[in-house]
Amino acid sequence: MNIQRIHAIFEKDIKDFMKNMMLLVLPALPLVIALLYALTSEGEAELPLPLLYLIVGMAFSGITSAMIMTMMAEENEKNTLRGLIQSPASFVDIIVGKSLVTGIITLISLVASLMIVGIEPFLEFRVILGLILLFLFFLLLGIGIGLFSKTVSATSAYLMPVMLLFGFTSMVGTFGFAEDSMAITITDTFPIMQAIKIHDSSSWMPMVVIAIWIIAAAIFTYVCFRNTMTDD
Amino acid sequence: MKSAMEVKELQKVFGKNIAIKHVDFNVKQGEIFGLLGPSGSGKTTMVKILTGELSKTAGDVNVLGMDSSKFKTSDFKSKVGILSDNSTLYKRLSVYDNLKLFCKLYKAPLHHIDDILHDVHLYEERFKTASDLSKGMAQRVLLAKALIHKPDLVFLDEPTSALDPGTMIHIHRALQKLNEVGTTIFLTTHNMEEATELCDRVAFLHKGELQELDSPAALRYKYSDHTFHVETVAGERMVIKNEPETADQVRQLIANRQVKAMHTDNPTLGQIFLKVTGKELV
Repeated sequence: MNIQRIHAIFEKDIKDFMKNMMLLVLPALPLVIALLYALTSEGEAELPLPLLYLIVGMAFSGITSAMIMTMMAEENEKNTLRGLIQSPASFVDIIVGKSLVTGIITLISLVASLMIVGIEPFLEFRVILGLILLFLFFLLLGIGIGLFSKTVSATSAYLMPVMLLFGFTSMVGTFGFAEDSMAITITDTFPIMQAIKIHDSSSWMPMVVIAIWIIAAAIFTYVCFRNTMTDD
Repeated sequence: MKSAMEVKELQKVFGKNIAIKHVDFNVKQGEIFGLLGPSGSGKTTMVKILTGELSKTAGDVNVLGMDSSKFKTSDFKSKVGILSDNSTLYKRLSVYDNLKLFCKLYKAPLHHIDDILHDVHLYEERFKTASDLSKGMAQRVLLAKALIHKPDLVFLDEPTSALDPGTMIHIHRALQKLNEVGTTIFLTTHNMEEATELCDRVAFLHKGELQELDSPAALRYKYSDHTFHVETVAGERMVIKNEPETADQVRQLIANRQVKAMHTDNPTLGQIFLKVTGKELV
């Protein structure tokens, strides 16, 4: 890993981000939802966790995944990624450099959104660690899909399932499924649901489950990147 | 002279299609080597193998003293510059910011940006957004990007394809300047004039096979009909064989101030390519 190269990619991406209208609107999504909740729930002491995690899910899927997915797909589509690969920058330099902008924007938007609805439930070490793990999962998933999808327009087709499955998982409970139904059992293992469990128990199991999701996303990303590195 | 590149028995197969067939050649350090061939002859495949973007099926490739297993290392990438036919710029960024990124990635000093922009005659356009550049300007920025770290070896895949003559001249001058400081240039083109003007040696690639390899002058001599075309002041046109027996005749014409014009009729590289392969260089 090389700090100078990571910084170069970060600097380029931040300039590119500031001129990309499509990406500039993404950080507003969780803020809008948070504002709506704050306005409609006036007087309530604290929002329930599934609702708070809807904002978290929106931030991670709608900003982290969507942004890095679009950035990687654009690099792939316009063949600029090949320029980075041909340079001495390593796989890690490129991924970390490109992730920094996404990470900073996500952090600002998520903190601002949670401050609007009440950030107190998240001010705990294990919960913050859970959020960091969630970020890594959504980031790697976004990078992998961005490399896999080849064009920016194709990313929108992949983003929807990511948002619905992984971003809005906490809303599955409101669909009226029975507690022991297949849908609830399966979605219960999803990263957002595991992050909610961190609040209710002192077990490290939810972290382990999220870590497994991260490993799966990392493998997917690495395979996609390897395919992008050569024309074989 | 040491070799910058050694290719032995190189073969590349895509499914049932043999793209490169047992190719052998060396590129000397500091020379401009041209790989000539029509579209689909295997030029880009060759460049991709030599830069590690494609793996070889068989044979040995050694570039700058490194075998193909090292082509993905930072050490190799730091010594090589690549301008491929599908290289592009970050359209939303300025010319300067595009070059600054690569300057930092290659850990080259930032003053290289201004130096190289002067070389490609784009210093005045440095703050222009890449999307506002003409095709010729964009190609010159891409060339600048490939040269920003002053590499030992530059791969240029069709660098002047579809460019206007003015831009082509700018690019040729930049390449000649680069070569003067000892940079080895590996150039693929189907532009025979470009190859004749720039290259120390050229190789003809046809259907993945190397057909000829020599200097443009040597090739033109080899395939010439070895005659002089003489036009006398009296308006007479003569074709004289270039051989020892006719030397006196030529000397006599010159001594008697009878020669208005005299030239050889060596074929162009394009004509030679056609003769060797039966296919035009397009």
